[in-house]
Amino acid sequence: MAAKLDVVVVGAGLAGLTAARTLTAAGRSVVVVEARDRVGGRTLNHDLGDGQVVEAGGQFVGPTQNHILKLAGDLGIDTVAANTVGDSVYVHAGRSRRFSGEIPPDLLALPDLALTMRRINQLAAQVRLDAPWKSPDAAKWDSMTFESWIRRNTVTTGGIDLVNVFLGSAYGGGAQDASLLFSLHYIAGMGDEDNPGTIERGIGNEGGAQESRFVGGSQLVSIRAAEQLDDRVVLGSAVRAIEQDATSLTVRTDDRSWAASHVIVAVPPALAARIAWNPLLPAQQDALFSRLTFGTLMKCEAVYDEPFWRQDGLSGQGVFRSGSPLCSMHDNTPPSGGPGVLMGFLGGAQWRRWAHRPPRERRAAVLRSFAEVAGRNALRPTDYFEQDWTTEEFTRGGPTAVAAPGTVTGFGEWRDRPFGRVHWAGAEHSDYWNGYMDGAVRSGKDAANAVLEQGD
Amino acid sequence: MTTIEVSETATLAVPIDRVWEVVSNTARYADWVHGVVEVTDDHGPATVGRTYSEVNKSVGPLTMRTTWTVREVDPQRTRVDTGVGLAPLQNFVNVFDFRANRDGGTEMTYTARYSVGLGPVGVILERLLRPGMRHGFQTSMRNLEDLITAEG
Repeated sequence: MAAKLDVVVVGAGLAGLTAARTLTAAGRSVVVVEARDRVGGRTLNHDLGDGQVVEAGGQFVGPTQNHILKLAGDLGIDTVAANTVGDSVYVHAGRSRRFSGEIPPDLLALPDLALTMRRINQLAAQVRLDAPWKSPDAAKWDSMTFESWIRRNTVTTGGIDLVNVFLGSAYGGGAQDASLLFSLHYIAGMGDEDNPGTIERGIGNEGGAQESRFVGGSQLVSIRAAEQLDDRVVLGSAVRAIEQDATSLTVRTDDRSWAASHVIVAVPPALAARIAWNPLLPAQQDALFSRLTFGTLMKCEAVYDEPFWRQDGLSGQGVFRSGSPLCSMHDNTPPSGGPGVLMGFLGGAQWRRWAHRPPRERRAAVLRSFAEVAGRNALRPTDYFEQDWTTEEFTRGGPTAVAAPGTVTGFGEWRDRPFGRVHWAGAEHSDYWNGYMDGAVRSGKDAANAVLEQGD
Repeated sequence: MTTIEVSETATLAVPIDRVWEVVSNTARYADWVHGVVEVTDDHGPATVGRTYSEVNKSVGPLTMRTTWTVREVDPQRTRVDTGVGLAPLQNFVNVFDFRANRDGGTEMTYTARYSVGLGPVGVILERLLRPGMRHGFQTSMRNLEDLITAEG
């Protein structure tokens, strides 16, 4: 075992790397131990050849996500607007309809959707962001699913269907998977200290969370951050055990160990619970982390010689109201303008239906959905690939963890509570932009600052 | 009781072996047959004498449950099934015929033969349904072509 370190960070995603940057800047000795042979966690660049990449994991950023934008800026990474030029297409009941702006042309569903969104924002404004379990109606809101509440407050199925379009990619699930309280807290955090969260900011393109992408792909942020940390990042080393006494900790992989004064665990909560802890995690914390399993999400991307849909005045963006394998799709063409790339989210119920079908059948279903939006040329890509985050051993789903009824009020206060000298980071440990890249960066800073405040 | 026949033909720009492969799979009708919401019970490759079941769209939000029995399998030439659960249509026979064309594509004919129950009401209903049935056959064959194209 090497000399005792100030801090071992477990996980080289955005949260862990941010924590390490903050600590090294404060003069602390740090090692980041990463299970994969790459950095970036849930961000992942897919190589298109010719030096071009496209994102196969988390990718969009937008206003109020100041922490990830600042980090990227510090690392010399620019943003580029996601393509919204042209009409989007709304697919429902086998019909494709073009529309401009962000509101799908569904006259029967829109009154319910508008009312639902207004009421969600009103309730989200009442949630205590720092302690949602202490919100005025916390017990009531945590006793029902988000879907139960939506159905109770709407007339048609349009409201629930269109909210689920958003949650298919945001939760990797649907409104039935999460409690109302968790969902309100999630939405309340779609802002910053000066701008209250709203569902519009979460679902929006311009002015919303899907406004921009990073030039060079979102994983580049972690790659550059890791380069600056130099040999402090150890890849291919899955942490199996963490032992703790009054003054120090030992972090063990299969063949190495590190002694440290503090540990920051920056891996998904459900995976943190699988580490062999000595002493054991507090039962409440273990129960919470074990309940925070990830959603089920696959990104499906098709590559074309050029973004042909743009010539037809289309943005490449599609919204699918139930019945399709996809919930939504986007133009994911690199900033250079080519090759053309269409990307669709296959999440939640659709993932459960399609993930285990033969790849060729799933590919056809996805491409036919693309064709409903972009035209029949979409049936013949030059390349097609999928990133199923459920098959990633060190993620086990995506894009984030959602809490079922009873979880936030029962165990929520244990989410960020230090376990002795162990602190927690990761996108699920942030009040703002929980589950997003910005949440990850915020949590990394918070955990690092907590270590610094705790002292030696 | 009079037997009515509705038939539509289309040229599919995909090879007949691939067409046969997809059409023969009783699990895949929801992937390409217009109006099939879900296959609820299947037996994989179509086998004479065996059945499969579907939920089909009916009128508006209504659905109906249909069970089909495979009656004839002549690879890359003909499939014949009979169906129940399609009221007011009775004695329903569904026929797919295939022929390879010179361009490497497939000529497909989609035929339904049936009689009509429910007396005069059924006759009126059938006349209302028939144009939609023709459109559905054409849509199904186009779906089949798109599906095989997209599978690559």
